[in-house]
Amino acid sequence: MRILFRNILKFAPALLFVVTAHVVTTGQTAKLQLDQLDVLANRASETVDVKLDEHLMQMTAKFFSGKDTDDAEIRDLLKNLKGIYVKSFTFEKENEYSPAEVDSVISQLRGGGWSKIVGVTSKKNGDNVDVYLLTIADQIAGLAVVSAEPKEFTVVNIVGPINLEKLSELEGSFGVPLLNLPPPKPKTAK
Amino acid sequence: MLATFIAITLALSMPIGASADRDGFSDAVKLIEQFYHVKHQNIPLLARAGMKAVKTAAKIRGGEYKKLAEAGSVRVAFFEEQTFDSRGQIASFKSAVQNLLASPWSALVQTLAPKSEEQTYVYVRDAGKNFHVLVITIERREATVIQATVAPQILAELLKNPDGMGKALTDEATTSDP
Repeated sequence: MRILFRNILKFAPALLFVVTAHVVTTGQTAKLQLDQLDVLANRASETVDVKLDEHLMQMTAKFFSGKDTDDAEIRDLLKNLKGIYVKSFTFEKENEYSPAEVDSVISQLRGGGWSKIVGVTSKKNGDNVDVYLLTIADQIAGLAVVSAEPKEFTVVNIVGPINLEKLSELEGSFGVPLLNLPPPKPKTAK
Repeated sequence: MLATFIAITLALSMPIGASADRDGFSDAVKLIEQFYHVKHQNIPLLARAGMKAVKTAAKIRGGEYKKLAEAGSVRVAFFEEQTFDSRGQIASFKSAVQNLLASPWSALVQTLAPKSEEQTYVYVRDAGKNFHVLVITIERREATVIQATVAPQILAELLKNPDGMGKALTDEATTSDP
């Protein structure tokens, strides 16, 4: 028994590290790593970087009064979210950001529970807008919008339960830009 | 050995800088002075009358003017008639601000326009039942650093339009009430 206890103590640091790493990684899968895009700020004519973390949203969500229908909807939406992160870069000329920079975001959305639910490509304008949803155990855990236009590159990452319909409620506020996504399909009447 | 291990683990798990209650306002002013080689001025409240006419604060939801900052909570530092030239290194300044205002401050909004040298940084931290909001606004010839205490109800309103939040607070802090 004493030998067993000694062995457990011996491996305790490694065990703790593995458990901590697992908790950290699984807890952050919906939050994308976007800091690598910061280098674009020197090339962009305009950069917008918005970070609304869980603490801030939980602290302020309760102050959206339920009297106003919009406010009540926003409060219900925000109280479940864990973060809204937006990075948007506007350029004066075309091709000022590289496919590698777009791929640094898209590569995080390949597999791992992420699936593309909307993909809009305009050959005429060169616009590409993709919407990805993260599902963990049949629950929506996050959403990402990657909008790559010739002179604009925008990434919206929302952590928490959200769908396209709710995303449209956030457009134009909380730092979420107007995304001009196709309207969500109406629910079929039961 | 176990005790040492637990102590090290606890120390590593604490956020860096959590113990230091840094004065973000003074640190931000110093950073601007060092990066841009400029000097700030502290302008008394009365001298600020009429400096700015537009009250963006009035444009926040509801249309009518609402007092944003808690009374007596505003700190202001101006940089006027000086040159703010990042020499193509505006992202470096952004990184410097991020490093400086690490925990307990949280970055909320950062906007940069290198060509016009326009930058806005809005940081937030807890202040008991309220929040401290730190706003850094830089243009080609002037800059402002504002720190104000804001009630959560007001912060909730401002969060709806985070891009306009810095301007709303700066306008209020630099405009005397009629």
